[in-house]
Amino acid sequence: MKGRFGIYGGRYAPEMLIPALEELEETYIHAKKDKRFQKEFLSLLYGFSGRPTPLTFAKNLTVMLGGAKIYFKNEGLNITGAHKITHCLGQALLAKRMGKKRLIAETGAGQHGVATATVSAKFGFECTVYMGEVDVARQRSNVFWMQQLGAKVIPVSFGSRTLKDAVNAALKDWITNVKDTHYLLGSTLGPHPFPTINRDFQSIVGREVASQLNKMEGRDPDYIIACVGGGSNAMGIFSHFIKKKGVALIGVEAGGKGKRFGMHAARFNGGRVGIIEGYKSIFLQDKDGNVAPTHSISAGLDYPGIGPEVAYLKDKQRITFVSVTDREVVDAFRLLSRNEGIIPALESAHAVAHVIKLAPILAKDKIIVVNISGRGDKDIFTIADALKDKEWNEFLENKVKENKKHEQNRPKNKRT
Amino acid sequence: MNKIDQKINGLKKCNRIGLMTHLVLGYPNPMDSLKLAKILIDAGSDFVELQIPFSDPIADGPTIMHASEVALRNGATVTKCLELLQKITVYSPIPVLVMCYYNTVFSFGVEEFCHRMKSLNISGLIVPDIPVDEEKNEKFVHFCLKYDLYLIRVISPASSKQRLTLNAKRAKGFVYCISRFGVTGTKSTLDPTLQNYLSNVKKYFSIPIAVGFGISKKEHIDSLQNKADIAIVGSAIIDQIEKSRNYRQNYLDTVKKFIINIKH
Repeated sequence: MKGRFGIYGGRYAPEMLIPALEELEETYIHAKKDKRFQKEFLSLLYGFSGRPTPLTFAKNLTVMLGGAKIYFKNEGLNITGAHKITHCLGQALLAKRMGKKRLIAETGAGQHGVATATVSAKFGFECTVYMGEVDVARQRSNVFWMQQLGAKVIPVSFGSRTLKDAVNAALKDWITNVKDTHYLLGSTLGPHPFPTINRDFQSIVGREVASQLNKMEGRDPDYIIACVGGGSNAMGIFSHFIKKKGVALIGVEAGGKGKRFGMHAARFNGGRVGIIEGYKSIFLQDKDGNVAPTHSISAGLDYPGIGPEVAYLKDKQRITFVSVTDREVVDAFRLLSRNEGIIPALESAHAVAHVIKLAPILAKDKIIVVNISGRGDKDIFTIADALKDKEWNEFLENKVKENKKHEQNRPKNKRT
Repeated sequence: MNKIDQKINGLKKCNRIGLMTHLVLGYPNPMDSLKLAKILIDAGSDFVELQIPFSDPIADGPTIMHASEVALRNGATVTKCLELLQKITVYSPIPVLVMCYYNTVFSFGVEEFCHRMKSLNISGLIVPDIPVDEEKNEKFVHFCLKYDLYLIRVISPASSKQRLTLNAKRAKGFVYCISRFGVTGTKSTLDPTLQNYLSNVKKYFSIPIAVGFGISKKEHIDSLQNKADIAIVGSAIIDQIEKSRNYRQNYLDTVKKFIINIKH
């Protein structure tokens, strides 16, 4: 199996992890050729996760923007509310083959954590999810759901206390417990073979788009837009179309609060080649190679690195990159919710923010497909904050008061 | 002859286990880290391993991670670390090794980094996240050879036969054996399977064996006598410093006593 994408990728892992990565690669090579494995994987996608996810024509938005036709691939309708469940099901099957008893994962927005907790519950794995303290605070509802699914959520209190630190913590756990644990890495990054495995599992998204759009329009799209954190949803929808030169692929990065260093997570605005967390790619870093601080309104996009294949396709000019600001994202979120009845995750709203700019300048016979990688339920606190929603704040205040009252009224000796 | 070999020959003659002590450069601040390094050298270390702090040290446990964060916060840039290394190597009669993560090397420029290390009189490098498999892309082993730096191979109980063979081919100076499954940090006892693991490693490596991770007491070192050639003490020293700092004691004295005690 190829572990490099041009100069990017590779397996820059400590010796402690190399045997586990070799085992994973070998298991995957066998599974890929095994028809029973493929059948089981697909039956889980269709029978459990809820695939195929719909491709929806956004009639109102198309009319409003007055340009190209817009379609949404709604990955938010997967059982866990985002595309992450797909590679989790795939990797859980691999972990089963390897005889592992325990799954660990990192999570930013909590979507990958929820998906890992879900497959753990379904397949009977013990599950630990690492999540930066900052993200625990802003994605509390997903923490709660992971716990309900039986996972142990460990807040990570070192470094920038966000996604990249959760990756570090998970790697350290893996180094310690590698004998019985599989690290269910959640994006198209990390040491080989993770970028390839996750891309392959996710590539069903692009294949579905091709066949769905073919039924509706009789052709391929002209543009595909996806937000890019590590690259799992983007590579999922892009990979089928990479060889089709007529389809323009656009990745949207988190522009955060602006272009200043530390204020955003746009790797292609100031990032350079580095080797961090087991792979070579483009990273936001200081002159010594230390990882730089990042910011994004969405917890899933503030990662300082980017998947190696994504970086390679950018160099090859096969994927074009743009970035949008937090403010544009909140506007896009509102526009989509009000006009199409789709509440997107803040990550996915980045892709929507770009389509708002792109569609009006294109001819009416052009077709754009936007990947709505997840739904927005999890972002209720962040969005209510961003919209300064008064009623929501009152509700929270009342809820806290009510809970306190209940606590006080509870008999003191019976703590049940 | 590389200073590491000279030292190893010396140890063999007096038939005793060597001690390699570890520090994070710039921890707790640049000035004191220089004093600490001198203390480690004076108190009887046979080798000293100095770590350039990095933002994302994946092989390190909480103690060294914390020390790295403190060092970076207090201004331990690579430039500052090189200044400290210059002062330390001028002072040091024993071999000085530099530990760092590969992005620090890569970011500096692989050849430039090796060249600079050589000109600072560094004897060896320990870089845990650059497996030999990436050599054709990185040329790191190549430049270490060119500048007579021993690139110390790090292996673990997880290493398979193939991995041991592959690493043995490239190994120079001594081989760094991680004592257990896990990241750096102290434990009260050493792994009971350690002896078997070390005798297995000896089948593949003809060079001396160093054991690190979890070594914090004189008993640990004593138990390695005749099983390994070098004992590596890292997190335990930082633990001593942190403890003294909490009690507002003079941690320079504490470290000195700790090293003398662990060695004799």
